[in-house]
Amino acid sequence: MRVAIDTGGTFTDCVYLAGGELRVLKIFSTPADPSLAVIHALARIEAGSELQVRHGTTVGTNTMLERKGARVAFVTTAGFEDTIAIGRQARSRLYDWFAPAPVCLVPLELRFGVPERVSAEGEILRLPTEEELAALADQIRAAPPEVSPEAIAISLLFSFANPETERRVEAALRPLGLPISTSHRILPEFREYERASTTVVNAYLAPGMGSYLSHLEQRVSQQHRGGRVEVMQSSGGIIPARLAALEPVRTILSGPAGGVIGACQVARWAGFDRIGFERIIGIDMGGTSTDVFLAASASGGPQRTGESIVAGVPVSVPMLDIHTIGAGGGSIARFDAGNMLRVGPESAGADPGPICFGRGRRPTVTDANLLLGRLDPDTFLGGSVHLDRHRAERVMREGKGPLPTAEDFAAGILRVVETNMEKAIRIISVERGHDPRQFTLVAFGGGGPLHACSLARALRIPTVLVPAMPGALSAVGILLADAVRDYSRTVMLPGENIDQLESIFFDLELHTVEEFSAEGLEGIADRSLDLRYRRQGYELNIPYDPRSPKHSIEAFHHLHQQRYGFSDPRRPVEIVNLRLRMSSPAEPYSPPFSQPEPGDAASAFYSERDIFFEREFMASRLYRRDKLVPGDTIHGPAMITEYTSATVLPPGCSARVDGYGNLILTIAEETA
Amino acid sequence: MTSPKIDPPKVDAPKPDPIDLAVFQSAVHSIAEEMGAALRRTALSPNIKERRDYSCAIFDSAARVIAMGDHMPVHLGSMPMSVQAAVNAIDFAPGDIAILNDPYAGGTHLPDITMVLPVFLSGADRPAFYVSNRAHHADVGGAFPGSMGPAREIYQEGIRIPPVRIVRSGQLDRDILDLILLNVRTPQEREGDLESQIGACRVGEQRMLELAARYGNQKMHALIDEILNYSERLVRAELRKMPAGSFTAEDWMDDDGVTDTPHKIAVELQFNPEGASLRVDFTGSSPQVAGSINAVRAITLSACFYMLRCLLAEDAPATAGILRPLTLHTTPGTIVDALPPAPVAGGNVETSQRIVDVLLCALAQAVPERVPAASAGTMSNLTIGGIDPRTGTPFTYYETTAGGMGARPSLDGISGVQTHMTNSLNTPIEALEYAYPLRLRRYGYRRGSGGAGQFRGGDGLIREIELLADAQVTLLAERRKFRPYGLEGGEEGGAGRAWTITSRRPATSDGTEEAELPGKCTRMLSKGEILHLETPGGGGWGRPLT
Repeated sequence: MRVAIDTGGTFTDCVYLAGGELRVLKIFSTPADPSLAVIHALARIEAGSELQVRHGTTVGTNTMLERKGARVAFVTTAGFEDTIAIGRQARSRLYDWFAPAPVCLVPLELRFGVPERVSAEGEILRLPTEEELAALADQIRAAPPEVSPEAIAISLLFSFANPETERRVEAALRPLGLPISTSHRILPEFREYERASTTVVNAYLAPGMGSYLSHLEQRVSQQHRGGRVEVMQSSGGIIPARLAALEPVRTILSGPAGGVIGACQVARWAGFDRIGFERIIGIDMGGTSTDVFLAASASGGPQRTGESIVAGVPVSVPMLDIHTIGAGGGSIARFDAGNMLRVGPESAGADPGPICFGRGRRPTVTDANLLLGRLDPDTFLGGSVHLDRHRAERVMREGKGPLPTAEDFAAGILRVVETNMEKAIRIISVERGHDPRQFTLVAFGGGGPLHACSLARALRIPTVLVPAMPGALSAVGILLADAVRDYSRTVMLPGENIDQLESIFFDLELHTVEEFSAEGLEGIADRSLDLRYRRQGYELNIPYDPRSPKHSIEAFHHLHQQRYGFSDPRRPVEIVNLRLRMSSPAEPYSPPFSQPEPGDAASAFYSERDIFFEREFMASRLYRRDKLVPGDTIHGPAMITEYTSATVLPPGCSARVDGYGNLILTIAEETA
Repeated sequence: MTSPKIDPPKVDAPKPDPIDLAVFQSAVHSIAEEMGAALRRTALSPNIKERRDYSCAIFDSAARVIAMGDHMPVHLGSMPMSVQAAVNAIDFAPGDIAILNDPYAGGTHLPDITMVLPVFLSGADRPAFYVSNRAHHADVGGAFPGSMGPAREIYQEGIRIPPVRIVRSGQLDRDILDLILLNVRTPQEREGDLESQIGACRVGEQRMLELAARYGNQKMHALIDEILNYSERLVRAELRKMPAGSFTAEDWMDDDGVTDTPHKIAVELQFNPEGASLRVDFTGSSPQVAGSINAVRAITLSACFYMLRCLLAEDAPATAGILRPLTLHTTPGTIVDALPPAPVAGGNVETSQRIVDVLLCALAQAVPERVPAASAGTMSNLTIGGIDPRTGTPFTYYETTAGGMGARPSLDGISGVQTHMTNSLNTPIEALEYAYPLRLRRYGYRRGSGGAGQFRGGDGLIREIELLADAQVTLLAERRKFRPYGLEGGEEGGAGRAWTITSRRPATSDGTEEAELPGKCTRMLSKGEILHLETPGGGGWGRPLT
């Protein structure tokens, strides 16, 4: 049995296939030990033996955002200890005299140099002596207790060209008993700062992720014979937990990557790829954060990037291009020193949670939504969690600052948080030259559908898709994702050698097929080459066909012309990397389809309530989503409630149920 | 000197709404960024592909800048002059691309080579836009490898290219290219980089054509007018908040590399909040000098542009509208408005920073809480040229090293970061050593070099480079005698310095000899010698707490 479990800041979502149908279970997260909720969910769904748990984890992301990772000792070539802080020497904001100093995860006292040197050609010019290595270990050991390191990152100059010295240093530091990340394994590519930064992030996450995942796998296998755990990577593929524990830097966007895969899949099912192109903007609002992404490329989904910045720190392993902000249902509202209302990034999470959950003392976005009638206390999580409106109202009245009423405070909170979300969408769309008006907004996560209409209005997005099970779409994406493993080898060969790559690919593939079959997987190999004109600094990734290798060179010239405005068939081409992506597709799944019949959703109507829109409360009709049938159409002001979420429909907007049970919202422009 | 102006077409379109305007602004800006990405991803020289020493910008039919990538502020005010110079000199036809580098005809200093591509909408006989990019080439010939040496005349600084067509109706003009390549030390690298610049222009052209198709000509013109007006409104709103009156400041360049005489830069800012305008007057600045620290007027204009742009929020567009409230007065024949044949290599990289220092020093008197103390004030330019023994072919290396940022009211300055007129990255050591016969020995903070204060200036950097081949090393640096100033009682940042380390008895660590290097000099150094460079720290802000 295959189960996807996605841990969020507030809820843990569990999705699995039973009798050809997707089932979903949502329970509270257990932030102190997220694995508790996972185990609990597995027990609730009565998962048996031979269990395959696919996990989306936020442990990595949260560690970065909250700056709660391990104290990392950074070891590099002597003379270059500061390079991890200097970075690329450029400022991030060109015209801002008051920009804060850039983030460095390694404190001054934990930067160590080792006397060694490798040349650009990979020749070892100087090896550290045994004494020097012992001295290095002593130095690290001697760090004062308040900064004593919990993990080690080793990144020496030119380690990608010759990893021998890194291996020796690693061996010498092994006895310290700390998790060690080495740059030649994490990112064997040139550019020392980006490689070092990525390695440091890995070390920063390693102790926490390592113990978390091994603990989880242990418990899963204890309670479910033959059970194993896999983890979603930031690049959108699944890897075994054992690998994820060693290279946690690849899982920073684990859950969000599931959301991207899920959203693209749902958009495809719903027919939003009619011309072979998805043009969707995704917004996934959970308890602590909101992720936004854009897919405008061919149906393979959004682009990957190898130049990410996570919480201010460069991370160069490939990931899906996702932008995250600290705005979620649990985001805490406060007045800052200048009496300006701020929302997030601090979150009440699951514990203590929002005020209305009964324990929290500080107003959150969820409390604001409740006060404004945008959450139904009786149906929230099927009624299993009682929302205490009176408590929320009382506490918010006490904390409303200069605002006249608790409702004004609540409306202000929503305005601020929606502005933050709107800005995030602008960054990934408008700022990259995409006009949001040409996109469909796919809104999910518990909070996405609550805010989707007002965001779509602000950005003039005409259509919103609220998938069936919006609160568990990341888990759906994780369940349906392929198992993927990426391998590469740097070769630096002249283009004339294109005919001689077969044996290298063969070696690479042999190794990966072994690895895959050890996990009982049958992989499909996708071979490609990174090519460039000789002496360029960046490559283009080109498919490689063993039957006509030379075709790759032609394709390179062609793509170079298309993308960069010129090409020159006479110029020498360099083969930089061979890449092999092994993927094992998940079992195919198509959602059940029913032909829509025009309807007015009368059987789903269950109540009426005042909901606050823009400036005032308006009598609004409430519908149960599980009672809606394909073809039903609802006009705002209304709210459609469901187990994991609620879709708020302002006056002028309408919702139609498609054949897959998705809500397709049509957004009317705001009346003046 | 005034250039013939082209009138923008008159159109009566409905005023664009704020969403349209925001989308359009971001779209043109992202086209400029995309041109930059194309350039970086295809160029050959580390200075362009790794250090991103380039700028890309989009202009309307009247050669007014409507978007500029977040690249190099020193090019802000000067790229429009390049486009204007190209427009004046050339009767463009579709498919043409102009090339130029003459500082006295739209350029800034010779290593910065600019390309201008006119974008013709289908069937039109006049360009609707211009796209342009400028990149710093690691050598353009002349007396010193790297073309940044202590020259006495511009003729010693390299090949001078007036605005000419390097591409005519889509065909590369091989004659022009060959003429250029014959005059430089590293022709293959130059050819590759120039080809990248041509490609980047074409990327910009393609995207602008797509954008124009999406909006239609009339709407596009309305948006352009509005975006320029919008920039202007933003600047005027800031100027309205300034205190009325006149604020003056002066600071000094150490020397011109020829004599030891310091040279003054003086400025007067006159704020007129009622008229929401600003007059900047550089009267009193030194006459142009024998050495290469002369700045052409375009650079002085860039510095003013930069100061105004910094008064706005980070996401405001850098368009020609920003300059509308500004009146700039410079005296031709001075160090801030040089005339031919004065050499100018350092004007772009050194004097430009001092002009900013002086502008900010005057501004701090008007709005002390908004202005940081002086940053390093020099780009510490290093050029090294010789023969690479690995290949037997010539190489030229160029790099600027960051210093300390001046302390801010409420914040310490950042250490080891590019400030003001430049924002080029460092060359990754692993790219540098792959490309050149050089080995980095050390790269780190220069602790204690930031000026003390309630808020400390950022520290400078230390960089040590060992030569793996005999080579000519040229340094062009400042802030040796006149250190970066502090504000409100903050102390000065540490002065920059450099020396060579020569091993007299190999294999012993103490048998070395050090020789101090002046800020501006050129030396033949031998294989095995080490250059040690220390960059200045930033000034402090506020009296140090005792």
